[in-house]
Amino acid sequence: MGLGILASRTIRPASRLLQSQSSNFFLRTIVSKPELQSPESAAVSQPEPPNQILPPKNPIGGARVHFSNPEDAIEVFVDGYAVKVPKGFTVLQACEVAGVDIPRFCYHSRLSIAGNCRMCLVEVEKSPKPVASCAMPALPGMKIKTDTPIAKKAREGVMEFLLMNHPLDCPICDQGGECDLQDQSMAFGSDRGRFTEMKRSVVDKNLGPLVKTVMTRCIQCTRCVRFASEVAGVQDLGMLGRGSGEEIGTYVEKLMTSELSGNVIDICPVGALTSKPFAFKARNWELKATETIDVSDAVGSNIRVDSRGPEVMRIIPRLNEDINEEWISDKTRFCYDGLKRQRLSDPMIRDSDGRFKAVSWRDALAVVGDVIHQVKPDEIVGIAGQLSDAESMMVLKDFVNRMGSDNVWCEGTAVGVNADLRYSYLMNSSISGLENADLFLLVGTQPRVEAAMVNARICKTVRASNAKVGYVGPPADFNYDCKHLGTGPDTLKEIAEGRHPFCSALKNAKNPAIIVGAGLFNRTDKDAILSSVESIAQANNVVRPDWNGLNFLLLYAAQAASLDLGLIQQSPKALESAKFVYLMGADDVDVDKIPKDAFVVYQGHHGDKAVYRANVILPASAFTEKEGTYENTEGFTQQTVPAVPTVGDARDDWKIVRALSEVSGVKLPYNSIEGVRSRIKSVAPNLVNTDEREPSAFGPSLKPECKETMSTTPFQPVVENFYMTNSITRASKIMAQCSAVLLKNRVSLDLGFSLR
Amino acid sequence: MAAPFTLRKIGVPPNSANLTEARRRVFDFFRASCRSIPTVMDIYNLQDVVAPSQLRFAISAQIRNNAHITDPKVIDLLLFKGMEELTDIVDHAKQRHHIIGQYVVGEGLVQNTGSKDQGKSDFLKNFYTSNYF
Repeated sequence: MGLGILASRTIRPASRLLQSQSSNFFLRTIVSKPELQSPESAAVSQPEPPNQILPPKNPIGGARVHFSNPEDAIEVFVDGYAVKVPKGFTVLQACEVAGVDIPRFCYHSRLSIAGNCRMCLVEVEKSPKPVASCAMPALPGMKIKTDTPIAKKAREGVMEFLLMNHPLDCPICDQGGECDLQDQSMAFGSDRGRFTEMKRSVVDKNLGPLVKTVMTRCIQCTRCVRFASEVAGVQDLGMLGRGSGEEIGTYVEKLMTSELSGNVIDICPVGALTSKPFAFKARNWELKATETIDVSDAVGSNIRVDSRGPEVMRIIPRLNEDINEEWISDKTRFCYDGLKRQRLSDPMIRDSDGRFKAVSWRDALAVVGDVIHQVKPDEIVGIAGQLSDAESMMVLKDFVNRMGSDNVWCEGTAVGVNADLRYSYLMNSSISGLENADLFLLVGTQPRVEAAMVNARICKTVRASNAKVGYVGPPADFNYDCKHLGTGPDTLKEIAEGRHPFCSALKNAKNPAIIVGAGLFNRTDKDAILSSVESIAQANNVVRPDWNGLNFLLLYAAQAASLDLGLIQQSPKALESAKFVYLMGADDVDVDKIPKDAFVVYQGHHGDKAVYRANVILPASAFTEKEGTYENTEGFTQQTVPAVPTVGDARDDWKIVRALSEVSGVKLPYNSIEGVRSRIKSVAPNLVNTDEREPSAFGPSLKPECKETMSTTPFQPVVENFYMTNSITRASKIMAQCSAVLLKNRVSLDLGFSLR
Repeated sequence: MAAPFTLRKIGVPPNSANLTEARRRVFDFFRASCRSIPTVMDIYNLQDVVAPSQLRFAISAQIRNNAHITDPKVIDLLLFKGMEELTDIVDHAKQRHHIIGQYVVGEGLVQNTGSKDQGKSDFLKNFYTSNYF
């Protein structure tokens, strides 16, 4: 045990006066041992505790460890605890499995390893100096120690260096309260600093209307550089200079125009890259977080809506490994300020002089109920919008059917779309399954603007396994290597018949994936195109029991659910001969096609295009204010959660249609959301099982032969402007700024081509 | 002008024999109450608050509320209660805020439990009130 010299100092009361009062005054003894006074000797003389039964350790965050090769598991010791990790794991990942969270700045689990922040240093036995755990592979029998004095001293030192040139911006920095630097300096940094020189400062870079840069705060972790080049696929950012003069920026005066550029805001551990629309608006501790689903495209990215009172302040991604990992597109992230503009808040009826007059719900529903009985059943048309949830579409279909009409459909599905077999409109290999593909054939779809998260997944696959991508459609820009095979159905015919040079690549691929865009559903020759795609699939063994590579990429959040519920357009002339049109959030309907004497009811949350033709306006709630079921393009059902209260006198969509049905005399049998859901269960039970993916049951073999021929018109781009696709984004100021930048870039590109 | 109308209190009348007599009694009651309106307005100082036509409308609405009843005995009982109420009002047994709250039709002052909302379900009533139910 060897105590050595036991030095004890006792404090005795100084004066007699105190001594007389000191009957209960105790003597305080300070005991010190040489082991406590030097770190090295403490490390040496640590007695090994006898083999106790140690409690089992759980990986941090409740993560699951996937052993791809169970025989190849290694055993390492983390702080005395033995853990089994797969072979390629780094020391940091082994510590995560053991439940020890090692501080880091530059390491991110989805990016490549940089190892330049040095905050993750841990002590490994038999190593002369502490190792960067994010980069060092875990070897069998390694003894890792994360809480020794050496590791602690290393962290304090790194923290001190990082804070030396870091400006004192916490009160004005948006990242305050959720800043990695703040948290780690409190947990691992030393309590006093020794820096008395001048701090360096860096000039700010202009990265666009979305990302605010204060480059003085940058700690040069290079997370944004690695993100831009690996995940987003654009090499916009880079590190210039060396040493303390290092600056992150775009070398030329270039804006970050990638559709995933907003994710660098989440990735940056300090306040160097922050959200420009959210700048100086709120602190993170005064916001209420609600976990919900995004509806701006058909992917259904998981988001967290931060709100303060009745206002949505910002949107942050949520982790979902299967759909969007940890990223969201710019449209999802920044469309929230459209929720505050152009909102419909009161029912309105158009007067005889053409102006709208606000009325009460009783009057508005009474008027609609009167008019609907004056038209013939065949002249009633109901159109669901692209942001409608499954409950409201079910109630609309029930109501229109009870009034005697069959004309109810969702916008985006043209006449004759066959929704009998689910495989013909879903992404059959699932978004996460796309990672296993080694060849992509994109037919008439530009995933970069239609579904940015699917594009991110394709980019990840191309980067990881060098997958080949062939594209048939109008010229578009991709952020990965892509062969432009052709522009129209002729190329498809060539591939189907085997004459195209791409066919050899198709035959040699083990898991080919064909992605067909939903924009092709609007063509008159769509049956012929789909049958030729299916013949390509059949010839190249794309649809097998273990791998189904025939995918359809839908455009709108409501499309999959509408096709599951059966909202299909049966007759092509339904809209032209309608006398009563019920638009439930449908803004992309061609308003000129509606006859001049038809009575139009618009039920929605924004005063967008179709409102100007309406006769009666019924205000509804937006996706952040209602609980609705949405199905994404791969068949995964999810539910939105209300984050803010409804605006004005608005009601939920399904409640309006249910009230209208009662006022019109065809009262629907349910009056609560559970009733609507049990009705949905009898039609499409997969829409009731939230957070589950229902794959399609049958393959293309059941489809009958198609006799039509393909026309030769080339495929048209579906999305003209990525930032303005639905009523919320069209009302948003941030989206308007982004699309102005986009158009300016396009114009300058065109000018560049013509000046040559 | 004739002499001002005075409400004569008769004892409890015998039951009406058939529906026709009950109808006659209802209309007599309506006439008596409308003729007492100037007195009521004078007693409770309702000159600036409400017009006589509105009070007549309120009375007729309450009568119309029960227009679907066919049993003469039930009609008699309702008339008895109506007469009791009218006597209380004319005798100044009530106060001004009672009259304004119960008979002046304003914004939500008188509950419209009349025929407009009678046939409607709970769902519709809740729907008209607010979105959260």
